[in-house]
Amino acid sequence: MHEPVFSYVPGVSPLHKLDPRTKLVVVMLLGILAFRIENFAGIGALFILFFALTLLSRLPMTVFFRAVRPMMLFIIFIFLAQLFFSDGRPLATFWVLQPSMEGLENGLTLVSRFILLLLFAALLTASTDPSAITCGIERMLRPLPLQWLGISSFELATMMNISIAFLPLLFERVERTKAAQAARGMDFVKNPFHSVPALAIPLLRGVIRDAEELALAMESRGYQGKRRTSMHELSMQNRDWIALFVIVLFIIIVLNL
Amino acid sequence: MIRLEKVSYSYPDGTPALENINLAIKKGEFIAIIGKNGSGKSTLALHLNGLLKPQKGKVIIRGMDTRDISKLPGIRKLVGIVFQNPETQFVGRTVEEDLAFGPENLCLPPVEIRKCVDMALAETGFEKYRYRSPKTLSGGQGQFVALAGILAMRPECLVFDEVTSMLDPDSGTDVLERIRKLQRKGKTVVYITHNLEELHAADRIIVMDKGRIVLEGDPESVFADPSLQSLGLTLPSLIELAARLKTCGVAIPWEKTSSPHSFAEEICQLFLKT
Ligand SMILES: Nc1ncnc2c1ncn2[C@@H]1O[C@H](COP(=O)(O)OP(=O)(O)OP(=O)(O)O)[C@@H](O)[C@H]1O
Ligand SMILES: [Mg+2]
Repeated sequence: MHEPVFSYVPGVSPLHKLDPRTKLVVVMLLGILAFRIENFAGIGALFILFFALTLLSRLPMTVFFRAVRPMMLFIIFIFLAQLFFSDGRPLATFWVLQPSMEGLENGLTLVSRFILLLLFAALLTASTDPSAITCGIERMLRPLPLQWLGISSFELATMMNISIAFLPLLFERVERTKAAQAARGMDFVKNPFHSVPALAIPLLRGVIRDAEELALAMESRGYQGKRRTSMHELSMQNRDWIALFVIVLFIIIVLNL
Repeated sequence: MIRLEKVSYSYPDGTPALENINLAIKKGEFIAIIGKNGSGKSTLALHLNGLLKPQKGKVIIRGMDTRDISKLPGIRKLVGIVFQNPETQFVGRTVEEDLAFGPENLCLPPVEIRKCVDMALAETGFEKYRYRSPKTLSGGQGQFVALAGILAMRPECLVFDEVTSMLDPDSGTDVLERIRKLQRKGKTVVYITHNLEELHAADRIIVMDKGRIVLEGDPESVFADPSLQSLGLTLPSLIELAARLKTCGVAIPWEKTSSPHSFAEEICQLFLKT
């Protein structure tokens, strides 16, 4: 199995120790900031902040390469599109294509924003246990009147956790169904139109049965979709307030650059 | 501790699954339920902590009726069920998180939850798997984790629905050994199985057929019952061997049929005597 793109790297760094809510709020704020600033100084400041936080997190750089790599093609594409199709002072002429100065600037800002977003998201997921993230989201959603939607924040959090845990089972089932159908002489390469329903129907049946069994096991262990506690103790410490203060200060400075 | 009174149940599609079941399970007992496919064993298991509710009759657990919704959390804490397929019992990304699921539903504070998890890991000897994904465990290890997930809720009664049927014989024996240890420590055990070899030391065996209890008693008397064959159940080979020997005048005492070792010993003794 390949390494998942946004995966948790256990550790004891100051970044790991922050409350997940602090990190969620900070990543949201920085994400918004990345799309608000127009000048290169601001973008540079965000990259510097990212490197500072990475040093603090003691995470290996590979974590971040993994986060950006799958999007690389898309990133190059938007850069080239901006470069060649923005109006402005031409830099040079290649046949009918005219890269422009404005295009270069637009492309660089857009791509930087995008990469920054991925990097900060990777910083969050790599330094926070996924179930702590869902726990944090649950706690932040709790005051919202979600019951109007017929769902509680507890159910939402459990749903997120279960999907994380249940997904590998789904992939495994796809493989198993594929193998079973192939054994019956189904050719998936030659015959994609036939093979999709041949795969989907037994797959669906299996998944529904799995889900029913899982639901029964959950209910048996006392799950009711109502209030429940969590193993993760969330409490905002001094370091969380300090971190939030520093980030807000940073944002104010960057917006005034 | 658990009492079923005249319990009947049919599935929504009309399949009758239980008919007029009367059963009392005592504290600390090791009670086995056997019967061929579709005889209603799993349906009975689901009644033991209120996952299914009887359409007729009632199920009383420590004085609590399973039809009383307000009592359900208490009932689920008292009686835990381990199911056949380990894969569809996991809700956590790591073993630790999975074990925390039950205590979290009991709304325990975080410190208590950690204690429950530690206790369950120690009880099954699985501390080293704490941060593993349950999906990466083998079938036997998976059933241990499923068992630990139930133990974390500190139940008094454990129900096992064919937990060894997807395991190889060795892991099956491991799991069964662990269950025996738990029973000796005072847990009540309801053990559902197809494999009669596992039942030599049960306190009581219940045989089901077509949703009814057709035979009930200690292993010696149940295994000696001539109707067992017609119910689609095969005797453990040593018991069968002893029965055949008996018809030609060689009596092997019941205790000696528990393992090939003691059986062979007994036969040697008989030879030496003659
Ligand atoms: N969800 C369901 N919906 C409808 N009928 C069901 C359902 N589950 C079981 N049944 C039916 O109820 C009867 C009893 O089934 P049950 O699963 O309790 O038997 P079992 O003794 O556990 O069998 P096995 O040894 O195969 O596990 C069977 O006739 C079965 O077909
Ligand atoms: Mg069954």
